[in-house]
Amino acid sequence: MLNIDNLHVTLGGNNILRGLSLAVKPGEVHAIMGPNGSGKSTLSYTIAGRDGYEATDGAVTLDGESILDLDPNERAAKGLFLSFQHPMEIPGVQTMNFIRTALNAQRKARGEDEISAADFIKLIREKAKLVGLDDAKLKRPFNVGFSGGEKKRMEMLQMAMFEPHFAIMDETDSGLDIDALKMVGEVVNALRGPSRGFLIITHYQRLLEYIKPDHVHVLAGGRIVKSGGPGLAAELEKSGYEQFVEAA
Amino acid sequence: MSTKLFINPSALEAGVEAAFEARSEPSEAQAAAFQRFAKLRLPHRRIEGWKWSDFNAALRNFTPINEDPGAIAISPTDFSALNPIEFRIVDGRIQLPEEEMPDGMRYGVIDPVATITELETHGIATLNVAITRKALGIEILEDAAPERPILIRHINSAAGFSFAQTMMRVSSNAKAKLIETYEGEGAGFYSHLFHMVVRDGATFNRTVLHETGTENIVHSICAAKIDEAARFEQTSLSTGSRLSRHETILHFWSPGSTAKINSAALLGGACHNDFTTHVLHKERGCETRQLHKGVATDRGRNVFQGKFEVERAAQKTDAKMTANALLLSDMAEANHKPELEIYADDVECAHGSTSGALDKDALFYLRQRGLSEKQARTLLIEAFVGAVIDEVEDDGVRNVLRAKTLDWLEAV
Repeated sequence: MLNIDNLHVTLGGNNILRGLSLAVKPGEVHAIMGPNGSGKSTLSYTIAGRDGYEATDGAVTLDGESILDLDPNERAAKGLFLSFQHPMEIPGVQTMNFIRTALNAQRKARGEDEISAADFIKLIREKAKLVGLDDAKLKRPFNVGFSGGEKKRMEMLQMAMFEPHFAIMDETDSGLDIDALKMVGEVVNALRGPSRGFLIITHYQRLLEYIKPDHVHVLAGGRIVKSGGPGLAAELEKSGYEQFVEAA
Repeated sequence: MSTKLFINPSALEAGVEAAFEARSEPSEAQAAAFQRFAKLRLPHRRIEGWKWSDFNAALRNFTPINEDPGAIAISPTDFSALNPIEFRIVDGRIQLPEEEMPDGMRYGVIDPVATITELETHGIATLNVAITRKALGIEILEDAAPERPILIRHINSAAGFSFAQTMMRVSSNAKAKLIETYEGEGAGFYSHLFHMVVRDGATFNRTVLHETGTENIVHSICAAKIDEAARFEQTSLSTGSRLSRHETILHFWSPGSTAKINSAALLGGACHNDFTTHVLHKERGCETRQLHKGVATDRGRNVFQGKFEVERAAQKTDAKMTANALLLSDMAEANHKPELEIYADDVECAHGSTSGALDKDALFYLRQRGLSEKQARTLLIEAFVGAVIDEVEDDGVRNVLRAKTLDWLEAV
């Protein structure tokens, strides 16, 4: 499914990722943990195709196809979803209108029919309930005046709506209370399936109590320095990242 | 080259002098206005307030061709769903509605204004006073509130110059909705002088849509006197042209009135639009809200000049002005000049002005969700301009302005 091989990425002339390799098979959930500045967000932005994140070496493929030359929306149409660490407020853009436009743009790019207005409203109401967002919030400009937790719920709402093929969750747990963490766990666990993959980027073990990862990796100094099973997360919680920072 | 009055005249100045001399009997007021214009001449960039919109330069090489264009085909208005009472000023000639006069109002072709004190140093307005022979007069009677909007279509299809005036009174406790459209594919100069009075307790709502061909040079000025406890609301949308400037001058003469003056400009190609406003608060307790949103791409140029003046007697004035520009290309320009001139001490007045490009973070966010670059840009620009358009209360008017915005976005 997602294969990253010897990826080197520069941002503004600085080498951030230095030979990162990672393979996520269909149906797997991988967690990436690591200290601040280790390149976690750079990895998520590079996979999603943000301008300025330049892959100078290596490859990223999704289902065997290289995605590094695709536009962000082309990657989205292939089912790649990024839950943002800091979701945007977009004044003037009505939430429902935007999500429907986005969903239809993805469907159209895949050669599928657009969703009807009635079906869309039914679906978004159902998913909003799942993530704990009021209907009233859906009528507001996108994320404007929302709390940090509400913004993360809006990310999860979109993930539930788009049902992505591969999802990257960039510190979705930061700023969330226990109830919201549980909700994130429920959304991810409901979507888990044999053809879907997840990459969960986090600082802490907390979220991984709700989402059991198949593999845990430590990212430090721009590459994966250690990989293991779910037990590695608990181990890191005790020992910290210092040993890896020094090693990197 | 020189004429009797002008040394080194522009073609327009020579043209208007010839036209003025050919008239049989101009009124004394008009003769005086023409003498004043000969001293003032066309406004140029060395005059404060005109440095970004130089009509003298634009008209210097303009050769008016004042041929009668004959009958031109006029398509139905974009506002036809609102069933408006439709007036037309076609290349300066007034056409009254072809229907019976509705209740609550009267109108007709009347003598032009003799002078407007506050515009005596304004070159174009002075020229307009000197030249215009007949004015459109519209009066909304006391307590009347005509359901249908009044529409004035300024259609300029020729390559000459034309001048027109409208005088309008919204009587006490009356309500009126006016839509003005500036249209036509001409390549001439058009000046419209709009003099209006909003009486005690009246509400006046004005929408201005400037969507002419790119070659027109247009100047409009609306000078309004607002009486007590009255309301003035205005929304303007312009896609500009070779040079267009729409001025609004509001005078609050009495206490307790409110105004909302919003504007949006969508400027591509080499289009230039200038919204210049001056709100004079003379009495206490008046409130003004002003929001401008300008979008410029290619070599488009967005000019906004807003001035709030608060006289000593105008305590408890509450006035806020915001102007934001979005620049979508390296060559696009925004020139903003927000100004406060305050002589009262117990007031709340503020202004803010920004300009910038589209938010890259927002663009990436939208694209990550599947929107193409064009879709994402369109959504963000629409949202930017939407801050002005969403404020329009009338559904029909708002829908037309929104559709015009989408048309423009589709084309750039």
